[in-house]
Amino acid sequence: MRLHVLELIRFSTYAELRAERSRSYLGLIWWVAEPAMMMAAFWLVFAVILKTGGPDYLPFLLIGLTVWQWMKSCITHGGYAIWTNLGLIRQARLPILVFPFVQMLADTIKFLYIFGLLLVILWVAGYPPHAAYIALPIVFAVTLLFAAGAGFLVAAVVPLIPDLRFVIEQVLTVVMFLSGVVFALDQVPSPLREVIALNPVATLLDATRGILMRGDWPNWLALLKVSLISALVCAIGIGCVLRLSPRYPKLAV
Amino acid sequence: MSEPLIELEHVGIAFSAQRRVGSGKFWALEDVSLSLRRGERLGVIGRNGAGKSTLLRVLAGILRPDRGSMRRGAVSCQLLSLALGFTPHLTGRDNAILSGLMIGLRHRDIVARLPAIREFSELGDFFDQPIASYSSGMVMRLGFSVAMQAEPDVLLIDEVLAVGDAEFQEKSGAALRERMRHGHTVVLVSHDEKQVAALCDRLLWIEHGRSVLEGDRDSVFEAYHRELHVAAPLS
Repeated sequence: MRLHVLELIRFSTYAELRAERSRSYLGLIWWVAEPAMMMAAFWLVFAVILKTGGPDYLPFLLIGLTVWQWMKSCITHGGYAIWTNLGLIRQARLPILVFPFVQMLADTIKFLYIFGLLLVILWVAGYPPHAAYIALPIVFAVTLLFAAGAGFLVAAVVPLIPDLRFVIEQVLTVVMFLSGVVFALDQVPSPLREVIALNPVATLLDATRGILMRGDWPNWLALLKVSLISALVCAIGIGCVLRLSPRYPKLAV
Repeated sequence: MSEPLIELEHVGIAFSAQRRVGSGKFWALEDVSLSLRRGERLGVIGRNGAGKSTLLRVLAGILRPDRGSMRRGAVSCQLLSLALGFTPHLTGRDNAILSGLMIGLRHRDIVARLPAIREFSELGDFFDQPIASYSSGMVMRLGFSVAMQAEPDVLLIDEVLAVGDAEFQEKSGAALRERMRHGHTVVLVSHDEKQVAALCDRLLWIEHGRSVLEGDRDSVFEAYHRELHVAAPLS
């Protein structure tokens, strides 16, 4: 049974990536072109027009947006996966967690490709590899855990209240601006800055940027706190999905 | 007599009437009991909206009873679904593998059966083309050929006895009847009384979500027709 579910996850992930590739004319190029266009837009606004970027703004923005896009994809794609597969869920008995998990896995594979490209850009731009790279897999594991937790929470609720999708997109945009994705949190006035710094996404982005731009080792204590929060969010998310799973096959498509 | 594979006792299934907060419930199944033993071919009859398809989904383990109890041994039950999980941009081959995994087959088993699926579906070179380029008949042929590969302990069939053009209908119907005759445990829902009479040895009659009568084929049909005020067409 377990092996069978693993095979289903593996092949569904392959099918998801494969189908996404063939859905558009340029296929895989969009994996890179889409985030690149978004980065260009932010660079134009913050560095060229507002001139608030600072010297290291381009790598700062590239890293922030690459990691944030990955998290956002996991939350939205994973979060809508049960809802979009209700037709299938009504017809077959499948482990419900497979649906969000497959989306998150596919988005993670996409992210790793884009991240590889990002590394090359950083090396060329004068940010060479460093021993602290060893900490990257740990930071990414915690990032995925947090995004997956949020994704499972969304996945649990959206099938019951599909209207939430409109709210979630907006909430994620706000979270993006409050997490230091596009501007450094040092620019935020003092009392507010400390509050924003409690945001786990900010801690994770900070750790990733420290490693890639300055070769700093992450703040382990902060990372431990975030991983505990992430594990808790993940457990609650999975619990909600399993708890609500008998209701999904009864929902109208 | 062997132990029942599946037993339902006074099972009820409630759906929300509307997608609104606090909307009322309606009971698609009110009170259905049945027992199914290995090798039995059980037909479920009843008028439209009686809850036949909902009952199959309960047996398949997709819906969990809201009241009553269901006992099931360690058996796999599979609802025969055509084109389960099909994705338009994938090839016939990839869709066959994906669908095969979803109906409970292992990857190596479904890969081993790909030549047979390709042969039965009569797709030829289209097998390696995206199914977005298929006609609806071709999709159904592929769907049927994959669905037929499922090997559950209990096969649940909802009205899909034949698909495609006349020739393929005959072929698919024959393949399915062949499977049913070979000692498989089957639950069949159909409006086609001749089909049910030919394939099933026991019948369950349900009406408005309640089981009315369960028993051997002839006596249940007799009671059913008496109720419908029509002469029994069985010879």
